[in-house]
Amino acid sequence: MKLTKNQWIGLVLGALGFILPFFWEINGLSAAGHMGLSIFFLAAVFWMLEPVPIYATSMLVILLQVLFLSSEGIYLNDVTEAYSPDGYTAFMGTLANPIIILFLGGFVLADAAVKYNLDLNITRILLKPFGNQPKYILLGLMSVTALLSAFMSNTATTAMMMTVIIPIIARMKPTDPLRIGLALSVPFAANIGGIATPIGTPPNAVVIGSLANQGISIPFGNWMALAVPLVLIALLILWLVLLFMYKPEAKTIEIDMTGKFNLSKKALFLYAVFAFTVILWVTESVHGVNSAIIAMIPVVFLTLTGVTSKEDIRKLPWEVLWLVAGGISLGISMKSTGLAEWIVTSIDWGSFGTITMILVFSAVAIAMSNFLSNTVTATLLAPLAISLAVSGVAGEGFNLVIISLVIGVSASFAMVLPISTPPNAIAISTGFIETKHMAKPGILIGIFGLLLVTIYALFYWPLLIGN
Amino acid sequence: MDNQIYIVIIEDELEVMEALLGDLEFIEPNFPLEAANNAEEAVSVMEQIEADGHKVGLLLCDHVLPGKNGIDLLIELQNHPTLKHSKKVLVTGQAGLEDTVQAINKAHLDYYIAKPWTKEELQEVVTEKLTDYVIENKLNLLQYMSALNATRLAEALRENGLTDT
Repeated sequence: MKLTKNQWIGLVLGALGFILPFFWEINGLSAAGHMGLSIFFLAAVFWMLEPVPIYATSMLVILLQVLFLSSEGIYLNDVTEAYSPDGYTAFMGTLANPIIILFLGGFVLADAAVKYNLDLNITRILLKPFGNQPKYILLGLMSVTALLSAFMSNTATTAMMMTVIIPIIARMKPTDPLRIGLALSVPFAANIGGIATPIGTPPNAVVIGSLANQGISIPFGNWMALAVPLVLIALLILWLVLLFMYKPEAKTIEIDMTGKFNLSKKALFLYAVFAFTVILWVTESVHGVNSAIIAMIPVVFLTLTGVTSKEDIRKLPWEVLWLVAGGISLGISMKSTGLAEWIVTSIDWGSFGTITMILVFSAVAIAMSNFLSNTVTATLLAPLAISLAVSGVAGEGFNLVIISLVIGVSASFAMVLPISTPPNAIAISTGFIETKHMAKPGILIGIFGLLLVTIYALFYWPLLIGN
Repeated sequence: MDNQIYIVIIEDELEVMEALLGDLEFIEPNFPLEAANNAEEAVSVMEQIEADGHKVGLLLCDHVLPGKNGIDLLIELQNHPTLKHSKKVLVTGQAGLEDTVQAINKAHLDYYIAKPWTKEELQEVVTEKLTDYVIENKLNLLQYMSALNATRLAEALRENGLTDT
């Protein structure tokens, strides 16, 4: 394998970052904290510059933590006054963390839905009531995209919706600005829709996993109660922004709605399992059965009945589970080594008010995730926010859950560039739009996202969470 | 640029070759065209393309050629380790039923264009066959969306189980 110059730079910088804390004595940071800093530097550089795939970095993070920070490792394995190491299972076990199992259930459902064209058929049915006026079609496409991306990956949803909108765009007059509006509506609505449920997109998982390490669980339905109102407003704003920027010329648009539901026994069983699982997830706080346990229903029953085959299981996006697990694992030792607390206490937060802190975390998350993976952004910021809240330096009224939500949600509001998210990359690849078409509305949505998150964090979320 | 996908045209009549090249101009910025006058030249052109780190995505081949005929060439390529994956289209007016059956059964012929062709038909066949090629060979589908059949590429992306990062 030949490495490019940029890969070499990433590898060397990462290695230097790892070595640095060994030669840089920091007052107030324990030996374990130095070790944690080494791993943090390495991971941050590798995740940002990507000399290796981001999931490979996550795997490396887990190994390094087991070797250098666990009680069975080769370094810092004794309990001291400054550091009591976790067992190696704490790090490796992140791969079976409830949020990972929840995602696994989501993956199996989504995979089976694609296999039996459920996603496409739901789209056709739900688009019908929106008629044939361009502005309502735009709204319909955005709504359906957001709904599906709340339960499937944003990227797979975008790919599916592209098969619906490409023929529409191809039939339109080449000068009609609505072409651009349509091509943007899908990736943007998918990015936003992912916020709506815990399984919508991996940054949600990182945040929920980090909170779980603090002993705070957020039931599926509660997350939706917190996130869905924000998603709806964001979609409405997106709709208005796209209509304003790309005014439709065409008076009517025809969409081909033909298509049949697969009515084989296996397909019917899948529909039933899908509906049953989603209903149980949404009503978690009513019946009290953890959503990760419910996630085992599709995993077990779709496999038992052969709806999901061995090949389907092999094809699941396992690397995403490693990515999230590595993120949760890094959070564990950032906290236990005192590293995260040291980072947050080195900034004088007292001079900031709560509003400023929310704005700062949201703005940093949106800015970072425009250039980095959304999951990596959440992974790097969540431990800091949690330490900030737990250590008490941020003062009263700085709620752990709220600041975590701010980070998780903000990470999904990045859609300025083709590289910001995979859905954006797909949209650009169609050739219907250029980067400049994406950047302007992307920046606007980023700003609206920042304001929305701040308003919700100040006024709405506290109503549901309390202080 | 590395890893280009080439279209190789094998045709001995100059006028026909020029007509083919003209009709395929639309796709040349994304898929470079190479011309060969006979089977032997075609093989050396294709091996050179691969030696330079590129791929042959599509062959447009006449049947009646000086030396080895087109269908024999296509059958022979089925034994080639890499070129057997290339899409094979016969562009001819003179292949008899027997020859054509051979081409389908033994050369995995992907399409038969009868001369005289229409520009629309040729362009559509080339676009669709190249779309097949990038999907079957698991290439980076996003890279080809604007040049090929975007709907089918999006459909393939959907089935590949894409994930968020």
